[in-house]
Amino acid sequence: MEPVELLHMSVFSQSFSPCGRFLAAGNSYGEIGLFSLAAALSPDATAANQKPVLTFTAHKGPVFSLLSNDCVLLSAGNGEISAWSWTELTKKNVKPLWTKRPNYKSGLEIPEINSMVLNPQDNSLVVGAGDNNVHVLDLEHGVFKTVLQGHTDYVHCVCVREREAELLSGSEDGAVRMWDSRTGQCVHCIEVYKYESCARPQYGKWISCVTTDSDWMLCGGGPSLSLWHLRSLSPTSMFPLSGCQRQAAFHQDKILAVGEGAFVSHCLLGGEVKAQIPCTPSSLNTLQLNSNSSEHRVLTVGGSSSHVDVFTNLSYRAFSLSF
Amino acid sequence: MGAVTDDEVIRKRLLIDGDGAGDDRRINLLLKSFTKWCNSPGTPEEGFTQYQRMLGTLAQCEFSMGKTLMVYDMNLREMENYEKIYSNIEQNIMSAHEKITECKKEIQRAKRIRKNRQEYDALAKVIQQHPDRHETLKQLEALDKELQQLSHIKENMDAKLELRKKQFHVLLTTIQELQQTLENDEKSDNDDPSQESPMENSE
Repeated sequence: MEPVELLHMSVFSQSFSPCGRFLAAGNSYGEIGLFSLAAALSPDATAANQKPVLTFTAHKGPVFSLLSNDCVLLSAGNGEISAWSWTELTKKNVKPLWTKRPNYKSGLEIPEINSMVLNPQDNSLVVGAGDNNVHVLDLEHGVFKTVLQGHTDYVHCVCVREREAELLSGSEDGAVRMWDSRTGQCVHCIEVYKYESCARPQYGKWISCVTTDSDWMLCGGGPSLSLWHLRSLSPTSMFPLSGCQRQAAFHQDKILAVGEGAFVSHCLLGGEVKAQIPCTPSSLNTLQLNSNSSEHRVLTVGGSSSHVDVFTNLSYRAFSLSF
Repeated sequence: MGAVTDDEVIRKRLLIDGDGAGDDRRINLLLKSFTKWCNSPGTPEEGFTQYQRMLGTLAQCEFSMGKTLMVYDMNLREMENYEKIYSNIEQNIMSAHEKITECKKEIQRAKRIRKNRQEYDALAKVIQQHPDRHETLKQLEALDKELQQLSHIKENMDAKLELRKKQFHVLLTTIQELQQTLENDEKSDNDDPSQESPMENSE
């Protein structure tokens, strides 16, 4: 790869293999790089172990979303979803299992797919697409069974609320919508920018990250990152982070958030920012915790750089993998 | 084969000899002096001195043997001591490992508790913003009372209005009847002029 290309590369998405030993990272050139975590974390790792074991072009546009289930890696690119078998990828065989495209109404533009999430209850894939809709693909039959309409601008992020069988989606129009996964009706619509405590009109009203652990929801983007209690639909705490957050996660008793700014923010549920750990990329797009393997429990972050930072201990950056 | 064992023997002898050079030589000397003493034709005094000298050498040999035995005993005991210390340390390591796992579990529990406490705090903050339930209930009660009073007043007014209406109605019907009677009388007066004056007088 040319140095210029490396300089302008951004990592948009990451996913760990089901065994937890490999990390797949998708970048802005449509490539997916497969890194061997087992090799990079072993005591006698060298600089060569921090390079990908396999890089292949998956899509024509940037790979905005990567997802793994028990045996398959799903990647979303320019309006289409491809599935790759993990066992085949570890053998360096880069033929996709299938490629599907949701039914888009408008024929001219191909909307990009910003985010996907698996709904384990009915084995379906929830896809947030650029045509303002959320499409649900049944993985058993391979058919798109529902389209959730309601947003007035493209969908940035989706997540699943397992206990209540609901789907949440955050979009550019500033609304977080909650859909019943069985009937497909929009149950609630929260317009975050209308709440004075969260709104930051200087950044806009778009919501770029939504994550939930069934009782609580974190959402942020234009408005500041805030913690919501879902039963009462009220915002409980605001996190005073400068810049817009692109991904957030609940981890034990803390909240990890990444976004604009070359650091990972650790915050407590009460709203205080406990620590900001510096990283290599100047702004971060994706954050993933490896929960598939007990010996490679790491946090990896990627952003506007060709490096993916690996944290073995959450308090400091251990090393970086690079394309 | 013989050469190997010879070499070994020589090696072993060289190794041990460093320490026992004096002892080995002493024993050989003792044997030689014993045979010489047995076969010596010298005077009984010389024989006696030689005998004493041999006893001395024998005592020396016994002494060094005793020393070596004691050193051997000491080494054995030191080994035992070290074994004991070794197993002690191993046990300590095991218990330290267990303590570490216990503490890790404690940490997980404490983190969960902290998370629950923070969630509780966050919800409590939101709840505090809403007004107190007692106050709202009191306000509701006061409003209820007012409402009751007002409806009471309204009922009274309605009743009064009804009464007045009825009274007016009675009055108006009486007046109308009187008017009717007067008109009828006027008509009957026009037919019968002789009965006008008594009619006018009765009005």
